[in-house]
Amino acid sequence: MSAHAKTDFVGHDTHAAAPVEKRSWLLTRPTAKTGLVSWLTTVDHKKIGLLYGISALFFFLVGGFEALLIRIQLAVPNNTFISHQLYNELFTMHATTMIFLAVMPLSAAFFNYMMPLQIGARDVAFPRLNGFAFWVFLAGAIVLNIGWFVKSGAPDAGWFGYAPLTSTAYSNQFAGDMSTDLWVMGLQILGVSSVVGSLNFIVTIINMRAPGMTMMRLPVFTWMTLVTAFLIILSFPAITIALVELMMDRSFGTSFFDVSGGGLPILWQHLFWIFGHPEVYILILPAMGIVSEILPTFARKPLFGYPIIVFSGATIGFLGFGVWSHHMFTTGMGTVATAAFSLLTMAIAVPTGVKMFNWIGTLWGGHLQMRTPMMFALGFMWMFMMGGFSGVMHSAAPADAQQQDSYFVVAHFHYVLIGGSIFALLAGIHYWFPLIFGRKVSEFWGKLSFWVIFIGFNVTFFPMHFLGLNGMPRRTAVYDGNMGWNDANLIATVGALVLGVGIAIYFGVMIYTYFKGEKTTHDEWDARTLEWTVPSTPPPEHNFDVIPTVHARDAFWYEKTHKAEIEKEKAEHAKAEQDHGGIHMPSQSWFPIVAATGLLIGAIFFVNHIMIGAIAGGAIMFLGVYLWAVEGPGGYHIHLDDKNHDKH
Amino acid sequence: MVQYLPVTRLTNGTYLLGQMTLPSIFRSLKTRALSCAAVAAMPLFLGGWGNWNWLTGPQSTFDTKGPVAESQLDVFYVTLWVTGITFVIVAGILAYATFKFRARKTDDLKAVIPHQGHGNPLIELGLIGLSVLALVFIAVPTLRAIWYTYDVPAEEKASAYEVNAIGLQWWFKFEYPAEQIDGAGTLVTGNELVIPAGRPVRINLRTSDVIHSFWVPKLAGKVDMIPNRGNHLWLKADEPGYFWGQCAEYCGESHAVMRFRVIALNETDFAAWVAHQKTPARTVAPYSVLNGAPAAPYEFNNPGRNAPGYSADFDKAPFAAWQAKQEIDAGEDPALIAQGRQIFQQKTCTSCHAVRGHEGAGVTAPDLTHIGSRTTIAAGLLENTKQNLHRWIAHPNEVKPGNKMYVGVPLQSGVMAGYVKIDPATGKPEETPHITVSDAEARALVAYLHSLK
Repeated sequence: MSAHAKTDFVGHDTHAAAPVEKRSWLLTRPTAKTGLVSWLTTVDHKKIGLLYGISALFFFLVGGFEALLIRIQLAVPNNTFISHQLYNELFTMHATTMIFLAVMPLSAAFFNYMMPLQIGARDVAFPRLNGFAFWVFLAGAIVLNIGWFVKSGAPDAGWFGYAPLTSTAYSNQFAGDMSTDLWVMGLQILGVSSVVGSLNFIVTIINMRAPGMTMMRLPVFTWMTLVTAFLIILSFPAITIALVELMMDRSFGTSFFDVSGGGLPILWQHLFWIFGHPEVYILILPAMGIVSEILPTFARKPLFGYPIIVFSGATIGFLGFGVWSHHMFTTGMGTVATAAFSLLTMAIAVPTGVKMFNWIGTLWGGHLQMRTPMMFALGFMWMFMMGGFSGVMHSAAPADAQQQDSYFVVAHFHYVLIGGSIFALLAGIHYWFPLIFGRKVSEFWGKLSFWVIFIGFNVTFFPMHFLGLNGMPRRTAVYDGNMGWNDANLIATVGALVLGVGIAIYFGVMIYTYFKGEKTTHDEWDARTLEWTVPSTPPPEHNFDVIPTVHARDAFWYEKTHKAEIEKEKAEHAKAEQDHGGIHMPSQSWFPIVAATGLLIGAIFFVNHIMIGAIAGGAIMFLGVYLWAVEGPGGYHIHLDDKNHDKH
Repeated sequence: MVQYLPVTRLTNGTYLLGQMTLPSIFRSLKTRALSCAAVAAMPLFLGGWGNWNWLTGPQSTFDTKGPVAESQLDVFYVTLWVTGITFVIVAGILAYATFKFRARKTDDLKAVIPHQGHGNPLIELGLIGLSVLALVFIAVPTLRAIWYTYDVPAEEKASAYEVNAIGLQWWFKFEYPAEQIDGAGTLVTGNELVIPAGRPVRINLRTSDVIHSFWVPKLAGKVDMIPNRGNHLWLKADEPGYFWGQCAEYCGESHAVMRFRVIALNETDFAAWVAHQKTPARTVAPYSVLNGAPAAPYEFNNPGRNAPGYSADFDKAPFAAWQAKQEIDAGEDPALIAQGRQIFQQKTCTSCHAVRGHEGAGVTAPDLTHIGSRTTIAAGLLENTKQNLHRWIAHPNEVKPGNKMYVGVPLQSGVMAGYVKIDPATGKPEETPHITVSDAEARALVAYLHSLK
């Protein structure tokens, strides 16, 4: 049922004693509910989630296209398909794009869309900040990718940009090359977006849970959102500092990483990986959360060992800060440091393995419905398990001395990032599609896309284990035909094309379903968590007609088994809310996008060393933030039609 | 809601332990036994199957030729066993659970509501214990190997030979601090590291620009060469041999083609090699007739960028190829050699390359004093044949894009031009090239450089 909401009060609170003040046009809140303006000024967590999701999927395709070019170049030895320089730009941008512009924002899309629904909230704690986080993300994405269209070319120093290759002495040998500056500014801006977004999620999860939603009743996806958000706010400062230092080196002649000025290039690696390793868990924990939602739904029984799953997620979060130097086993850290990081890295395998055991325990004794989301979730379990085992192999530092920077590592992290993160995110899209769009993806096409992706993925990446152990270093644009690498490379390229076809089918099916798919009732899967209790699909702007009261861990499952009790309770709460002034909703605002645009303008001028423009961009941002503060919190109430509100 | 391993007898006579039936436990034991056999056969499988060369290439980490690489491989095998066995068990149970508990008909998808159990702390804690135990199996040999591979063992320190390896964009310089040459300092070579076999070699790793990584997979895992950091590694070649190596840390445009070779010689051969390397460059007197009449000019067609520079003949017996390379070529043309030596000066090659005893004194590029005796050129990329050397001299940017010989070297005060002169303002090469090498000039240079045995 669609919610028959009437917006009878716009611009200020019903209970405000003061008379309605006349505001200047600048501070008048936009109220468009459809059309472009509604998207540009939105503060609705669901719309912002969709914006994140669509942008992330776009960049996922861009990154995938870059990967296909890379694989075509490596299909045969001594290939001349693309130049070394372009190859270097492609692998740098492929990684940067997939990590920062595809997997992270796709996770953020689910955080935004699902987390408030899962905890029974009407929006996030700071709706305008949420919009700001998205627009800043988009600004960062533009800065990172603008290099493809300008003379300097795209960034080419690798996604972890090891100093001193990023210094002006090596990246701008002969002329001002701003590609590295674009990379620095792009990542810096994305960091702002991630930190802002994460703070918002943390405050939301801690403060805005529905009555009865105790921490140990939180859906696991929400738990993983919380852990990930903490990882982001604790790890991003490290890369922010590193990037500021690099920016200082490049633009103002400091010597943080410049050897001739007494700098230490190894410092970059420590700072980068103190961020970079938690980042790995930032990419995988949301995926684990999604899988922990899907498995119970389709096994039709609760998650096995919920407390251990939650605590192991948190343990991974903590330990994730203590293993960064396993990316640096070959940097000559000495025996004690190498041994310590080796053992800690093995230790982190335990909470990860525990999750796997508990997922299997969830399946055990269940009644497994083999629907498309379940297929992707099971695919995740298999592929993540394999990536986990090659990860354990890396933790043994002496073995890693051979594997580091070889294709074995490439195989490993694609197993955890595609087989892990991407499979789970694709599962999540299938799982929540009926909720978000009110349409159901065809099982045949969904499963077909799964099998093509699954086979293509394994054909691409399994042979890379052999390539690495046979001595092929990563990031090499060309290889000779006498090294025993020809077959595996050709197979990997064929696999990549199959994977590309699978992704094309997946996207084609999604687009078709959006327009023409079979309509669903809500609760398509007989699910267990609160997001499925929304009164209609797609959910109305106010999410819940009545804020739910939570009585058990699988709140919706409990509601379904205690219908009478819940009906009575909801009627009481609806009346109480109505007496209290109706459903309170946040007002839209222009200023998040204005402030983010200032950041974009400033960054582009700064990269070109036009400081006046950079300052102007900063001024626009501060003006946006100032007016944002001046326009006040806003908000309005909606009242549900009494005669409709019991029909769900 | 917590269950403490309820053991219940089912109507069909089997016992239910938690959620696991006893027959299923026995079945998983059987799977385990089978998987052990499969994993035990793995090293055989990895050793190579006829023509299957996926793990037997020149940079294979399985075909170890020294104790360091061997110790690293041993650790790898331990991890492979432990994770392999765990994988078979966990994957077996996962597969079993998936098939056993799946809904078989579409119409009963939602028909059955299974027991809503929330977990079993005993099983969960037990599995954590088992995981830790499995990791201990990996941790112990890991720790032992970390200390062993870090530096030359104490009892072998006295016999260790020391060399310095220096990474540059995009080639390797090797210094022999133990070999001092009167009036010329330390013995220096480029891109081919010759070491004594059967003796530990400690390699000090340095870089003069960005981070590189020194990796000879058959002898030792990699260690990075990091600016402002005194890294080292050690390795030992058990027998004399010829080994492939490659830079393993992304270091800029031509990282993919920054390679090198290691040649291990027995004690006598090594001493002879050192003695010869210390001598100044060989001079071929004009008008002298050496080793037969001058050979006919070779065919040369530029094969274009990224074209292979290896040959099956060489790969069949690389060590023999190296030994043959130490001999003076048949069919040298003294006149051409003399001409080449002049061109070498005219084209300003001497400002970056050293030819000890001849004119060259540069230190920013590989030392060419004995270039004719090396098996490879362009940093281990091309076999040192006449055609390949011609190609490298005449078309350097197609062999190794962005190399300093072609683009020049940026200096504090502008740019030292290479084959092209780059305008520092635009980063584009100026229209007229700074150095051109004609076909005839390249032939003379090839003759000269190949005479430098």
